[in-house]
Amino acid sequence: MSVEPFNRLVKLAARAFYDDITTKGDNQPKTGRSDNRGIAVVVLDALTRRQWVREEDLAKDLKLHSKQLRRTLRFFEEEKLVTRDHRRETAKGAKIYSAAIAATGDGQQTKEGDEKIKLHTHSYCCLDYAQIYDVVRYRLHRMKKKLKDELEDKNTVQEYICPNCGKRYNALDALRLISMEDEYFHCESCNGELVAESDKLASQEIGDGDDNARRRRREKLKDMLQKMEVQLKPLMDQLSRVKDLPVPEFGSLQAWEARANAAGRAANGDSNANDSSKSSQGLGFGGTPMPFVGETKVEVAFSGVGVKEEDSKSEIANASLKVLPPWMIKEGMNLTKEQRGEIKQESKMGSSSAPLGSSDDKKSTTNKDEEKNLQDEYVKAYYAAILKRQQEQEEAAKKQLELSNAHISNSVLGTSSNRQVGMKSKRDEDEGDDDFEWEEAPTAGNKSESFKVNDLNVQADASGDDEDDIDWEEG
Amino acid sequence: MFFHIVLERNMQLHPRHFGRHLRDNLVAKLVKDVEGTCSGRHGFVVAITGIENVGKGLIRDGTGFVTFPVKYQCVVFRPFKGEILEAVVTMVNKMGFFAEAGPVQIFVSNHLIPDDMEFQSGDMPNYTTSDGSVKIQKDSEVRLKIIGTRVDATEIFCIGTIKDDFLGVINDPVTS
Repeated sequence: MSVEPFNRLVKLAARAFYDDITTKGDNQPKTGRSDNRGIAVVVLDALTRRQWVREEDLAKDLKLHSKQLRRTLRFFEEEKLVTRDHRRETAKGAKIYSAAIAATGDGQQTKEGDEKIKLHTHSYCCLDYAQIYDVVRYRLHRMKKKLKDELEDKNTVQEYICPNCGKRYNALDALRLISMEDEYFHCESCNGELVAESDKLASQEIGDGDDNARRRRREKLKDMLQKMEVQLKPLMDQLSRVKDLPVPEFGSLQAWEARANAAGRAANGDSNANDSSKSSQGLGFGGTPMPFVGETKVEVAFSGVGVKEEDSKSEIANASLKVLPPWMIKEGMNLTKEQRGEIKQESKMGSSSAPLGSSDDKKSTTNKDEEKNLQDEYVKAYYAAILKRQQEQEEAAKKQLELSNAHISNSVLGTSSNRQVGMKSKRDEDEGDDDFEWEEAPTAGNKSESFKVNDLNVQADASGDDEDDIDWEEG
Repeated sequence: MFFHIVLERNMQLHPRHFGRHLRDNLVAKLVKDVEGTCSGRHGFVVAITGIENVGKGLIRDGTGFVTFPVKYQCVVFRPFKGEILEAVVTMVNKMGFFAEAGPVQIFVSNHLIPDDMEFQSGDMPNYTTSDGSVKIQKDSEVRLKIIGTRVDATEIFCIGTIKDDFLGVINDPVTS
């Protein structure tokens, strides 16, 4: 987990976007002395060298007033660059933090401090690298989009303004604004001539919307976009470099402290840091005893996983030749045995019983297999019956066809000998012939059954199994 | 976009229509009342295609009028943002041009017309490219994209753009 590229990203972003941010309010007069532009960059840079840091300490290090620092940090919190944490703690509670700091550095543990039970609110802050990455990307995206949209005038509703009374209209009002006398829009209240108004970046000094101004505006926008590309190139490069790296994650303050302490302990090999973290749980954490938040692991063990795996394995074994479901198999298809699913049974039986060790498991699976076999057999018999029925129907339909559609040529009848009901209906649609699928519906006996059979055929059709038939239809 | 939907309306029928042709009169009145109207919710009612059912009439006290709840099927036209339409130009001015796609009016402002087209005023105001090959004037047919709609209770107005791929003039007016 390397922080360096991310730090570079933060530094670049700071210089690109927060260079001239001042935390002073606008109402205060800016004198040369109180001008604190650039503070933001300094603070961000300082944060890249730290992890979680107590704001007072940071202020001390930067020789800043803590108020000023806090204002800057609040700004960054709003910008989603830093996460902050506030907590009331005793001097002792604060010591955990000190311990953690000591652990991240290679310094020794600090000794016991004074035991005053006095609560202070301390604030901590830390860079949130994952969010920074997203925020910077989003910012760039928005910038580019704004410029591009403006450049192409995409999806913008033109606004008009009355120079006399300042009333604003947009293009949706256009119908009410046209006047009969001339070709301009007129204000509803004062009948003044409206001018196209745009509050866009580039057109601030160019008021009128005539063609020349428009062209100039476009040039300016293009220029701006280009400049942006050039100036932000290092930042974008850094973004793309960082893209696939794991983001350094410090977690919440507590998690970080716990982790840092644990790491420190492991490194130093002594256990006297233990008590500080332990004692603090009661006092400092405010009743949230979760010192190892970051390291919880959940493992879920599925029962019966073995059986499933077996199943999927045998599937994979003959995945190259996919087993067609029985209802898809019809006469006239030349399939391998695997495709018909005949071999599958045996292979499954063999492989499923072999690797299972415990007799208990074995019993259950063999039971299952038997059950499955039974079901399969039943299903097979069922589909066989359906196939038979289809054939019967086909015969019946053919007779019907011969009777009712004598005008259909012989060739059609000849080739349709091994065709089925559903396909015929399809061909009918193709040829735009009269719909004798309706006619044959009653001959198919049970209505719902026939519908089902038709449906099945249609599905088989959709899978595109017999191509030559389809070719013939089109020919 | 066109939709075929079922709508309901309470029709008031004058007592003089009561008789053998009550239903015919009712339908005729419905067609006359409804076709060509616009509701913000459903759009323009283009045509009534059928009557679903006519409910029980209710005689109004005092007037003798009878109110029938009528369910009818109709074709409605509702423009949507992002939809591509073909429209006929009705007016061209400096601010852009107006076009009609059936019942709906569309305004294309001049900044949504490609930059290479310039406004030419005169007898027949138009927008023309510098080489004069493409010209938008009254009665030209254009293909445009709707980028905004204003939907009031009783009217729909759209603004469109022809500043995109495959948009613009598709047919010049028939010169006669």
